[in-house]
Amino acid sequence: MKIAGRCSSVLAVLAVFAASCGVAGQRDASDAQTIVVAAAADLRPAFEEIGRQFESEWNSEVTFSFGSSGLLAQQVIRGAPFDVFVAANEQYVDDVIAAGVGDSDSKERYAIGRLALWRGGDDDVPASVADLVMSRFARIAMANPTHAPYGMAARQALEAAGVYEAVKSRLVYGENVSDAQRIVQTGNADVGIIALSLALAAGGNFVVVPTALHEPLVQTLMVIATGAKGRVARDFVDFVKGPRGREILARNGFESPPQTVTQ
Amino acid sequence: MVDWSPLWLSLRVAVSATILATVFGVGLAYVLAKGHFRGRGVIEAIVTVPIVLPPTVLGYYLLVTIGANTPLGRAWESMTGTPLVFTPVAAGVAATISALPFIVRSSRAAIEGVNARFEEALRVAGHPEWRVALVGTLPLARRGVLAGIALGFARALGDFGVTVMIAGNIPGRTQTLPVAVYDAVQAGDTASARTGSLILAGIAFTVLLVITALSSQGSR
Repeated sequence: MKIAGRCSSVLAVLAVFAASCGVAGQRDASDAQTIVVAAAADLRPAFEEIGRQFESEWNSEVTFSFGSSGLLAQQVIRGAPFDVFVAANEQYVDDVIAAGVGDSDSKERYAIGRLALWRGGDDDVPASVADLVMSRFARIAMANPTHAPYGMAARQALEAAGVYEAVKSRLVYGENVSDAQRIVQTGNADVGIIALSLALAAGGNFVVVPTALHEPLVQTLMVIATGAKGRVARDFVDFVKGPRGREILARNGFESPPQTVTQ
Repeated sequence: MVDWSPLWLSLRVAVSATILATVFGVGLAYVLAKGHFRGRGVIEAIVTVPIVLPPTVLGYYLLVTIGANTPLGRAWESMTGTPLVFTPVAAGVAATISALPFIVRSSRAAIEGVNARFEEALRVAGHPEWRVALVGTLPLARRGVLAGIALGFARALGDFGVTVMIAGNIPGRTQTLPVAVYDAVQAGDTASARTGSLILAGIAFTVLLVITALSSQGSR
């Protein structure tokens, strides 16, 4: 293993040297008006719309990299060129701040995410989390609870409803919450415990999971970039928190945070 | 409207990586085939390990070797001004390492298979060793070398695991076509997933046809 590591380092140096000649044409994303936003998977429908509106209003371009919050946090910490980090919980933003990356003063809880039971189409969804014990839900999809916030919340909801042990063997994990939705969409699970935002975007019947069953999914963001990009990034954050951003978020199944945190 | 930027990025990355892996890989294959020194087996194993190692493991090792907080990563940043990981260059590194073993293995076998009498004749005629290699050995081994390059190119174009670990999934910047297919599936965008998959499958199939043609020429 050690040899493998050393070998890749030697290869990397050589590879890097020549690859730079060929692919270093980084014209894209390098000008100050283009920002890259790393965003949690549940935000795809809402933020794509926010991005389009922001672009048409400001003379700026926004590119999104969607993934699970935990994975994106690791990439931010390891130097990925993201200008804004938007997580599906608070913990991962705190992890990035603890690693000394980004502007810690820019941390903002801007919305609350909701869980939903969803299966797509007109099929009957379970009326409550407890009803997931019914045998017709032979496979239940959710995000991986070890690193995806919606997976953690889904597990808490199953435990709070007292059915976790009963359905444990029927759970299938997606890498993130949109992966869990994909598992249901392709017919590989009978029901999914996913983000309300994704259920709304995909259509079909759904039942919202009561917030009492899990810790709140506090959608939290922070600015990573400095300088000129940092200013565009802050404009973007202001847009998300502003009336238009709030309206889009509300329409996509997000609730306002209980109190506005200002620092 | 189909976004073609992942395809262009993939082609740029794969072509650069194939050129680099060819220069380095064919040279190494020649040394491995002709050299008689200790540790040849170890070198061959090191170069081949990307074929058998899970891409995530390889990606992890690269991340801890060339990441932003490593000595190599910092050296790169001080030379170029930007971190190496999560850039198109990192995608090039991933593709080069994926392509290299196929080029080395195929070229080495081909070079070893060259009839020694042709090389001997050139030597007797007074040609220095490097000329023997360039006008004798390599042209005679070209089919195996070209097959290795074709396979290496296909592998460079198709890499997902290492790329997503060290280059990430940034549209327009590091999102290669295989990563774009994954992203499209996640987004429920089946039209883009289908188009991307069809292009990649088409290229892979073409490469296999080329390799088959090369090897059947060899056994005529």
